[in-house]
Amino acid sequence: MVLDDLLQRRLIILSGKGGVGKSVIGTALALAARGRGKRILFIEVDAPLTASRYLGEAPVGGHETEVRPGLSMVNLVPARVMDEYVREMVRVDVLARKVQGSPIYRRFFAAAPGLPELMVLGKIMVLEEEKTGWPRRPRYDLIIVDAPATGHGLAFLRVPLVASNAVPVGPVGHNARRILSMLRDPKRTALAIVALPEEMAVVEALEFQRMTRDELGIEARAFILNGCHERRFTGAQEAEILRRVTEDEDGRLAPGVTLQAALAAGRRHIRRRKLTQFYRKRLEQAADAPVVSLPLLFTDRIDEAALETLAGRLEAA
Amino acid sequence: VSQLSVQALSRALDERRVLVVCGSGGVGKTTAAAALGVQAALRGRRVLACTIDPSRRLATSLGLDRLPDKPRALDLDRVAPDRDPRGALWAMTLDTKRTFDALVEKHASSDAARRRILENRFYKQVSSALAGSHEYMAMEKLLELSADERFDLVILDTPPTRHALDFLEAPERLMGFLDTGILKWFLKPYFVAGRLTLKVATRTGALALKLADNVLGLQFLQDLSEFFLAFEGMYAGFKERAGRVRALLRSDDAGFILVASPAPLTLDEALYFHQRLDESGMPFVAFVVNRVHPDPAQGFPATRAAADIDDDLAEALVEVFQDQRRLARADRRSVERLEGVTGRSAILIPEFEADVHDLRELKETGDVLFGVGGERRGRARGRSARRLAAADGAKR
Repeated sequence: MVLDDLLQRRLIILSGKGGVGKSVIGTALALAARGRGKRILFIEVDAPLTASRYLGEAPVGGHETEVRPGLSMVNLVPARVMDEYVREMVRVDVLARKVQGSPIYRRFFAAAPGLPELMVLGKIMVLEEEKTGWPRRPRYDLIIVDAPATGHGLAFLRVPLVASNAVPVGPVGHNARRILSMLRDPKRTALAIVALPEEMAVVEALEFQRMTRDELGIEARAFILNGCHERRFTGAQEAEILRRVTEDEDGRLAPGVTLQAALAAGRRHIRRRKLTQFYRKRLEQAADAPVVSLPLLFTDRIDEAALETLAGRLEAA
Repeated sequence: VSQLSVQALSRALDERRVLVVCGSGGVGKTTAAAALGVQAALRGRRVLACTIDPSRRLATSLGLDRLPDKPRALDLDRVAPDRDPRGALWAMTLDTKRTFDALVEKHASSDAARRRILENRFYKQVSSALAGSHEYMAMEKLLELSADERFDLVILDTPPTRHALDFLEAPERLMGFLDTGILKWFLKPYFVAGRLTLKVATRTGALALKLADNVLGLQFLQDLSEFFLAFEGMYAGFKERAGRVRALLRSDDAGFILVASPAPLTLDEALYFHQRLDESGMPFVAFVVNRVHPDPAQGFPATRAAADIDDDLAEALVEVFQDQRRLARADRRSVERLEGVTGRSAILIPEFEADVHDLRELKETGDVLFGVGGERRGRARGRSARRLAAADGAKR
């Protein structure tokens, strides 16, 4: 249901603080959508290691690369996007290179506040509006953006508003307003907030919901709670674990697994599960959008099988 | 070996004047910075812990939510009555906009210049909202605080950037920007007349201007030009202070503590960061790896006796145990990689079963770091972690 709702938009923006697993969830979301026959583009912004590695593929660059039939990925580096834009504007390669080679251009781009973000969002808009073939149809059915996690993650989305206020006239203001109206249009864009079942992450996710609504006029459509500890024991078993863990019984359950160590592991799990439950409730009570829980995966590394597990859970939510 | 790292960290808390806590977002930097602040104060130093983005409960319990941007003295008597009495702890949260405003207030060349800046549309947006200003202001604040005679140690939490290096490079970036012709270019009246007066010396220059007009628009350039003009007279000061921060961060008075989690991505960042510190001659102190999953077998002597337990429960328990062991092993491999690449041992903090919210928990986190109360660090860590968990259980 949540997935149906999200997939009705062409653009899904995943936001959340660093380390909550946005790129894993974004890739799982892409696989789930691909299962429904959509043509998908997954966009990362200046990612040091791109999500293509989860699928066992080489890092992707600034050009869209089809990593699976129907699933393309791209890593937008702001300076490269700007270069590309300049090339389009100048149209003469030699001159474009000359401009790009000048230190003034480089340093201006690095120091002009908000310009990198604006360039990236502009590129996202171009991709969202791109048409192909005859009859013309959208090049991508779905674009998923792993938004950069700077500060509250708000900085990125705030740029178009700031730019349209600061520079009302001229191409910057014009494009900023177009980007803003794309982001605000619930028929085109869905914002999903990713969090972990932890104090900071939940508080920030809720603050983020409030700020995007109040400051930017963008409503979050879903929360995704990643890394949940799910119930592994019955209520009676949990009671038994908590009772026996404080005793000092001899014995083992398997080679290398003593009873007391396993009971201690059991108690650790129970505490984590309760924390998960506590934070999920808190999120559900305060969130104005559905909350989807995804399990913590006890794998050494994220691979396609792990992603398919998460995709299945998204499909079922 | 890890004992050496603990000693290095310990010496740094005793001797340095500035400690910068770095790492990528979500690794527990803020908590680590605050916990180290408590430890230094217990050793008799007068410490200011400057945090950037504390959790609300931590901010509330330290009273930071009521006093943004002002150091607030914390009462250590309750958590450490028998500490070195000379020690004291202040905490504050850095507020980018206020720091920027204060800077303008202090350094603007005249009242008119001050008003021109503070009322500039561009300034209003830039000073609070946009990326980059955090780093510049953290830098300015660090300089101001390190000269404040109330404190003999400043511990600085760094802004939550995607690339932790942004902070490190802020002084260079600012100096680089002020050094290029770009500023002069903006300070010339190309834009002010309301149209581009194209008396630019070179063809490329003329082209760049034309392009800038097409891409960015004249209005944008004019606003930017006005913004830069308003700051005229302050640039020498900016540059001079950026140079001083740069020198301070390379001196023996400073030290960098790199915080990572065992997640490969944050560890890679820590490795890269370490390399950059090395290259630029900045003093590295120690790696702290936070939220390490403990090995569930650790501390339990092996046995061969059969256990008296229901089969279903035994099976579920073994599964949970193995899952936790897998995470612990993955974490250990991560830490070994870090240590192998750098030749430095890491100080490990186990994953606690609850978040750290108040001064007492901050102190206990630091105790875990230093293995207080036991000769064997691992043991002491385990005990403290359990104590923390127990304390948390009692509260709920």
